[in-house]
Amino acid sequence: MKTIGILGLGSMGKIIAKDLAETYNRKVIYLARDVNSVKNLAKKNNAEIRYADVSKPKTLAKAFKNIDVVIHAVHHEFNLNVMKACLKSKTNYIDLGGLYHYTKKQLKLNKQFKKNNLTAILGIGASPGITNVMAKYASRFLNKIESIEIKIGFKDFSTYKQISPLSASYSIQTILEEFSWKPAIFVNGKIKFVEPISGREEYNFPEPIGMQKPQYTIHSEIATLPYTLKAKNVSFKIAFDDEFVDKIKMLKENGFISDEKIKIGEDEFNIKEVSAEILKKLPKTIPEKINQCEIIRVIVSSENKKIIMDAKISGETIDKDTGVPPSIIAQMIVDGKITNKGVFPPESIILEEDFFKELAKRRIYIYQNNKKIN
Amino acid sequence: METKNKKFDFVVLGATGEEGNISSKDLLESGYSVLLCGRNKSRVKNLLEYKKAKFAYVDLNNVKKTASILKSSGAKIAVNCAELRMNINAMKACLISGLHYLDLGGLQKMTIQQYKFDKNFKKRKLTALLGCGSTPGISNIMVAYAVDKMDFVEHIEVGFAWDSNIKKFILPYSIESIVHELTTDPIVLDNGKFKKTKACSFEGALKFKGVEKQNTYCIVHSEVFTFKKYFEKKGLKFVHYKAGFPEHSFRVLDMLIKLGFGSKEPIKINGINLRPIDFTREVLKKIARPKNYKETEDIWIKVYGKSDGKPKKIEMDCVVKTLKGWENYGSNINTGMSISIMAQMLNKNLIKKEGITAPEEAVPSAPFFRELNKRKIFVYENDKKIN
Repeated sequence: MKTIGILGLGSMGKIIAKDLAETYNRKVIYLARDVNSVKNLAKKNNAEIRYADVSKPKTLAKAFKNIDVVIHAVHHEFNLNVMKACLKSKTNYIDLGGLYHYTKKQLKLNKQFKKNNLTAILGIGASPGITNVMAKYASRFLNKIESIEIKIGFKDFSTYKQISPLSASYSIQTILEEFSWKPAIFVNGKIKFVEPISGREEYNFPEPIGMQKPQYTIHSEIATLPYTLKAKNVSFKIAFDDEFVDKIKMLKENGFISDEKIKIGEDEFNIKEVSAEILKKLPKTIPEKINQCEIIRVIVSSENKKIIMDAKISGETIDKDTGVPPSIIAQMIVDGKITNKGVFPPESIILEEDFFKELAKRRIYIYQNNKKIN
Repeated sequence: METKNKKFDFVVLGATGEEGNISSKDLLESGYSVLLCGRNKSRVKNLLEYKKAKFAYVDLNNVKKTASILKSSGAKIAVNCAELRMNINAMKACLISGLHYLDLGGLQKMTIQQYKFDKNFKKRKLTALLGCGSTPGISNIMVAYAVDKMDFVEHIEVGFAWDSNIKKFILPYSIESIVHELTTDPIVLDNGKFKKTKACSFEGALKFKGVEKQNTYCIVHSEVFTFKKYFEKKGLKFVHYKAGFPEHSFRVLDMLIKLGFGSKEPIKINGINLRPIDFTREVLKKIARPKNYKETEDIWIKVYGKSDGKPKKIEMDCVVKTLKGWENYGSNINTGMSISIMAQMLNKNLIKKEGITAPEEAVPSAPFFRELNKRKIFVYENDKKIN
């Protein structure tokens, strides 16, 4: 029996678990540090539970035993540890991205995965993930790629019972990193690092999103697309609302998302880590009716041609477009639809049409120059 | 501790904080010897350059040990500049060791608790002067000065407003006090009765002397309590405290509080309990004042009443600007310098009241204003400089 493991049952892990419960009728194992906290979910979804703690790499290989693919849904700082454990336990590996720097390090494990006859796919959520596959799809219509521009816009039409003072659609730790690490952009064939929160300018997304202000953000697409698709220029921008940016900017400007250590009494703490923990304790947003819309736009251009690819999700929670792809790809691996061995970014290994077809089944639609193609 | 054979004129508790540092420097500059008490010697390095200064490790959580250090210091007066939650402990240590006591205020709840020690201080023939900074402190003395000119007083408004030439966030004063002030529902005196109102409720935009028009907010402050105590007999029925922050500062403070950085509820970080507010204080301390950064603060009062049967209104302002040689402290010097002046007045027997008292009752205004003038802190009555 082919088995898929989900490592980490946080907000993304739970979406992956839901998709697997709905679409995969073989064995699923939840790998969690706090086993009790996932008991109800496992019972509901008929999944098995195993103890696994990413901060204790030695325990991981044992936990991965007899699992065919592990989907790593814990924070990206653990990506390398989890990959190394997969090499030991002979398990295929999938993750949600490595925020450029981790991805670069992860790609270096290619030979070892190949040697062990294993597949590792890095960054297969919405972005990175759907973005990379859309860029690959567009590239087939162009001879020489001049630029790839990725822009993400989002609008929330939900009603809420309670709104958190800092509502974030993904991990607060990742957001603090994105707002403090210098974003990489690929300009005229060279990597350049720019200031965090820079490049923020108005951009009109298709309705119902409309005008937004995407900004440069460190992302792993820049670590692979310039090389895999031989693009001369690659950039990534994501839009956050003004109020959200103001709050994170305030924290940044006043030293709260620094990577420095600070002494308080006799103890020393990492500033960013403490800030993230404080923000995690804020009252949570409690939805009444979720109605969100996200458009992930990839503009791929050659000298005389431009292809605009959009992935659109609307009327539900946009987190789904990050949680669904790893479930689809894990199933493709266990079903023998993805067979290449080594470490790959999504654009180098995923068959675009098959992937888009699976996305459409989950109401995530792909558009090429405004025309739906899945 | 090197205090065995050394007699100090003053002990400063919490000398390691900004206000403690200012008051200690003022006392040392005035020629007195000072025992600097706190938990982190590195924070008084600048003061230890003075020959008459020494450091002693003091943790105010330990009252007995603090009392023993106070006693062996040989000083007659303790100046408490520590966080206000330590006020009771500091007072107890003074009672045990027999020292007079001054502090920077206890907002409302702490001040009420502190007054319960009145008999204990009287019994020991000691003075405990509460709220001796800028506000409470200068504000109270200005109010007493104005009230003294009236036969009948009905309404007092009091507050502060400050701004800087460079709009960069610099922690204006103790983050612990700020969080308390902006999140605690304050008491106002309304028609002779204490009435609770909403924390940080908007009180309108006002003009100030030396500071541009600013939004003001009703916050918890001890003046509301002490003014009723001392001026009720003159007919006082209304007291409102109004804090003015420049927009660039208020925005940061408000966001930090809303984002949980002012919380006192410990969180676990790698197995260690940490109060977010302690973390916030240390992070904000790292922000240095930029070059050429200058502040101006106006401590203001408006007293409405009657004199000779006619309505009378007295407006007073105490204006301080960043001073040469004191640039690192911005406009906060008016707090640390005021407590130093009052401690020196107590030392010279210009303040005689025993038991728990407040500046509006115990501190004569004329010599106090004169001392402010020596420090380039100017007092105005209806726009006319009076010191």
